[in-house]
Amino acid sequence: MPAANLKNLVRRHAELGIILIAVLLIFAFSVSSGGVWANFYNISTIVQVTATLGLMTLGVALVIATGEIDISVGSTFGIASLVYLWLSLRIDPAFAMLAAVAIGILIGWFNGMLVTKTGTPSLIVTLGSLMIFRGLAIALTSGFAFSIPYKARNGLSYVILGGGEIFGLNTAIIWLVLALIVLTMMLKYMRWGNRLLATGGSSESALSRGVRTDRVKLSAFVLCGALAAFGGVLEAGKLGSADGSMGRLMELQAIAACVLGGCLLAGGRISLAGALVGTFVLSSIQSYLVVMGVRPQWFILLLGIIVVLAAWGDRLLRQWALSR
Amino acid sequence: MTAQHPLIQVNNLDLFFGQFRALNNVSVDFKSGELVGLVGDNGAGKTTLIRVLCGIHAPTRGEVYFDGQRVVEFHPKLAIDQGIETIQQSVGLCDNLSIARNFYLGREPVKRILGIPFLDFRKMRDISARVIREFGLRENVSPDDEVERLSGGERQSVKIGRAVEFKNRVVIMDEPTNHLSVREREHVNELALQLRSQGLLVIYITHDIFQVHKLADRIVIMENGEKIADASTDSMTAEELEEVIRQGGRVVEKREKK
Repeated sequence: MPAANLKNLVRRHAELGIILIAVLLIFAFSVSSGGVWANFYNISTIVQVTATLGLMTLGVALVIATGEIDISVGSTFGIASLVYLWLSLRIDPAFAMLAAVAIGILIGWFNGMLVTKTGTPSLIVTLGSLMIFRGLAIALTSGFAFSIPYKARNGLSYVILGGGEIFGLNTAIIWLVLALIVLTMMLKYMRWGNRLLATGGSSESALSRGVRTDRVKLSAFVLCGALAAFGGVLEAGKLGSADGSMGRLMELQAIAACVLGGCLLAGGRISLAGALVGTFVLSSIQSYLVVMGVRPQWFILLLGIIVVLAAWGDRLLRQWALSR
Repeated sequence: MTAQHPLIQVNNLDLFFGQFRALNNVSVDFKSGELVGLVGDNGAGKTTLIRVLCGIHAPTRGEVYFDGQRVVEFHPKLAIDQGIETIQQSVGLCDNLSIARNFYLGREPVKRILGIPFLDFRKMRDISARVIREFGLRENVSPDDEVERLSGGERQSVKIGRAVEFKNRVVIMDEPTNHLSVREREHVNELALQLRSQGLLVIYITHDIFQVHKLADRIVIMENGEKIADASTDSMTAEELEEVIRQGGRVVEKREKK
């Protein structure tokens, strides 16, 4: 029966909804913008934004898979970009990147330990870190931006880490694709993924089967911190400058992208590819508003409306798929 | 049939949840090759006791010995590694995962490709499908189907099939026949006897004393977190044991002193 097959497909592939939305939006934007939106230069900009926001989104999706949430990623992104730029002037950018990612890992570990050891809701813990590390970023820069001189932007490691292009696209996209492949393999085909989804689906059941759910959650927070920090590094590499507000409100976009992409906030069900399509949709909307001359202030308002509508639409779609 | 020394020995166990005393000075032994019925009303402490044995709760006071070794750390992973399989009423399955993934959760088989351990899906599917079919799962249910689509009885079948497949030294069954049809119930009871005859310790938790009296070698009765009776089924009839529950253990104390 075709309807039953379609229901099965929707049930197993949570990302179908967002792919449908993406196709419709691309079509609508291309037609309505008269070529201003759908050209290589603009698309490459969207891809670059998708790459850095996408890395953060992948990490957030992993935490959501365990039934928790991490809203501190915007600050992690910001701190990492500052650390990376500051160190890149002094040591090889590859080592600067490692240091920045290590800070992301530390922030993730801090969040994860507090959540798993104290039982404090992750929303509260990561709200705290969001403010702590944003405050630190603003304090460290004293409100000023600092940048890396042009002559320092030609080294191989700087170029590879988001500071250059390959086939006209920012090198950040390579890292995003790599991260997607590795994490998808881990999620679908390895023990860690099975236990991560089990922890989000029913923490108590997973625990009763011998899964160390605390460690699983901690690993998700650590990976999330590392990915957000790496995204910050690539963004700083692309811009060559950073200030205390880098990554501000990006945590909301990352969460929105996850929800749009079919990740269940209650945990246990995520789609990494879907979350990335969600990121692409958000970047596309932002870029469309810019090229059409709409004031960027409208973006957040529109984002909110789209997230609410998409979450509602996704719920309706799932209810239909689960109906007999 | 039974071994000489106890496989599990529980000494003076206390467990508090805040101010609430869930277990009160419980001491009980379980031997390999015996089927013990753990009986009591709701809230008697049966499930709490087995949750200590399977590592979910650590006791506040008292000692637990497994095969002569004192248990110092309580975690389900350690209990499973020791060979304790538990079939619990409301937990054990993750609705969002497939039957095969649930079946092997926590002990997923892997095969290495370029040294990287990937899940061995073929083994997971084949074995879980074979085992759960034996427990009456419909032919049109695939091991790739998510558990949320199964009926209550089918969910129980997956849990029992899993425990039997991984059976090691102890199988704890917490109200295993809930949600099951009469035929399925008989099948589960036969299975419990079969496991015992293979030399395993089977702890069968229920509030139906008449059902478990037919199967068990020994009945342990609990009430308000305390063990109020521990008697072999040869020495007391089901009716007498029911009387014990009604009187809160006073009858057995007299008998044991004799």
